[in-house]
Amino acid sequence: MKSSPIGLLVAVALGIFPAQSWAQAKAGKVTVAGKAAATKDSEGVIDADASGSATAGGDAAGEAAPAAGDTPADGGEETGDTPAGSGLDDICKIDPAACPNLDMDKEAARPLKEQIFAVQQAYALRVRRFELQAGWSQSLNDQFVGHPAPNLALNYYITNVLAIGVNGQYYAPFNLDKDFNAQVRRAARVAVPLTEYQWGAALNFTYVPAYGKFAGFGDFIFHYDAYVVGGVGAMSVRPIAVIDPDNRNFEYQTKLAFNAGIGLRIFFNKWFAAVLEVRDYVFNDKLESLTASKIPGPGPNGAGNPNTWYGETSLTNNVQAQLGAAIFIPFSFDYRLPK
Amino acid sequence: MTTTKQKTTKRLVSVLAAALALFAFTERAEAQQILLTGPLAGAPAVRKLRQHRKARFEVAPAVSFTLLDEYQRTIFAGARLNYHFTDWLALGAWGAFGAAHIPTHLSDQIQEVNAARRATPGTSRDEELTAGNLGPDFKKQLASMDWVVAPQLTAVPFRGKLALFQSIYLDTDLYFFGGAAFVGLNERKNCENCTNSFEMASRVAIAPTFGLGFSFYINKWSAIGFEYRGMPFAWNTGGFDTAGGGKDKKFPDNKITNDDRQFNFNQVLTVSWNVYLPFQYKVSE
Repeated sequence: MKSSPIGLLVAVALGIFPAQSWAQAKAGKVTVAGKAAATKDSEGVIDADASGSATAGGDAAGEAAPAAGDTPADGGEETGDTPAGSGLDDICKIDPAACPNLDMDKEAARPLKEQIFAVQQAYALRVRRFELQAGWSQSLNDQFVGHPAPNLALNYYITNVLAIGVNGQYYAPFNLDKDFNAQVRRAARVAVPLTEYQWGAALNFTYVPAYGKFAGFGDFIFHYDAYVVGGVGAMSVRPIAVIDPDNRNFEYQTKLAFNAGIGLRIFFNKWFAAVLEVRDYVFNDKLESLTASKIPGPGPNGAGNPNTWYGETSLTNNVQAQLGAAIFIPFSFDYRLPK
Repeated sequence: MTTTKQKTTKRLVSVLAAALALFAFTERAEAQQILLTGPLAGAPAVRKLRQHRKARFEVAPAVSFTLLDEYQRTIFAGARLNYHFTDWLALGAWGAFGAAHIPTHLSDQIQEVNAARRATPGTSRDEELTAGNLGPDFKKQLASMDWVVAPQLTAVPFRGKLALFQSIYLDTDLYFFGGAAFVGLNERKNCENCTNSFEMASRVAIAPTFGLGFSFYINKWSAIGFEYRGMPFAWNTGGFDTAGGGKDKKFPDNKITNDDRQFNFNQVLTVSWNVYLPFQYKVSE
């Protein structure tokens, strides 16, 4: 009877210590070496938690493990049953030239230059991932001709905040000459030069300065980021003949186009997001001439001569609002920094 | 005997009630048992949430800009007033007046052409054909939104935070609103023989209004707001006779009537500075 409380206590103690703890005692050796190596990254960021305590989370241990064999331990708390330094002794026996000769006191006194980011593990890392975007855009600033278009974009994130990529739109079948134009022509006898677009393509840089998270209805949390994008490319455009449609038949011409915009990306998981973007494509548009030649035929000043069809050039803004989806590839990634 | 029967009945009722209770709550109880196994079981998505809106008044001076205008842009100056019953629900109104009306490039072109025609009267067929549509000063016949009052209900389903350049951190929320807009319009007066009649008249258009907005809280009592609003209604923006005759009334009838009012999805972008009263917010558990 008296021994039963002791047995219960032992059972409770066994229950309190999860199985992971026992595994971590062995992994602790790895954690010391591995973390010391893994936390010195290419950006010179040194993790403050390099001591490799036995309570390190599974993720951190997992990240450190592959690097364990490469780098000798240079400090930290040794845990486990194996005597400290036995791994180093083995290395020294095999290859004396590779035997590390470190003054541990000096190394310990060296300033660490610690840097901890406010958010160590952003929800979705973008670095070294491709982003494939597909969506539908609608013009925001042309009250005369609608320019809806399907969009595709491919970006590659060189860093977590900077990407290089390409995008394109296909407008040709979707240009919409609005009834309003005909009404104005009829009511005021004034024609507005109209332009339709065929396609657009651009090389872009994307910078992601802002990210955050939202709690929806106080119940679930989703993450988002905001980006700015800019680039250079081309647009294929032509006037819609409204002044002299009997004689004028315009061909598409490719124009140099610059673009700049902002976007919002809402992540549904770590590789799939909704994208809302507003971007201005600026190009020099050659408008239809407001006067029609009264000389018939394709002569030098004839109505059939394409040189007489064009009027003034105008810097045109094509502001597009895009709604779409983004897929990040590869689908998964490893965090470099601990939580 | 009677006492024994009563006791038996009581026991039977108790057993039945217990059985019913067990059947009624079995699934729920099982689900709860699973939830209770985690350390965050039953915990809210956000603890210690700064409730910037709950039980506070919002006074937001605002500047608004119309989008995709055909003949004339309007810049509104006004304010939004809200009382937030909870952190996610508010009742209030947006009110503004048309502080500036800016003609578009199209209006400038029409004005220019019209002025040239009128400079040489009687020589242009176009002048004759547009006599009922273009007055001596085209810009004076353009319809304008002079004021707007829009009582509205606001819901704030999304609340979050934003990190900017890893150094600036802001609370933010995304809200949706809807209500009715009373819009004071000044547009060309209806007329039968309109060749020399270009008088203007005021009326109030009632339209649905809805939209969404972001708030970025810069301190405990104020925020910067960006809002998009739609106010669809029909009005005669250019003062033209475009409909009322022919098949389906889609052709001009040489009169200015209600048929000449064209449906427009009027859009407004607003920038505001939101001030919350009292100055101190509440914090959730």
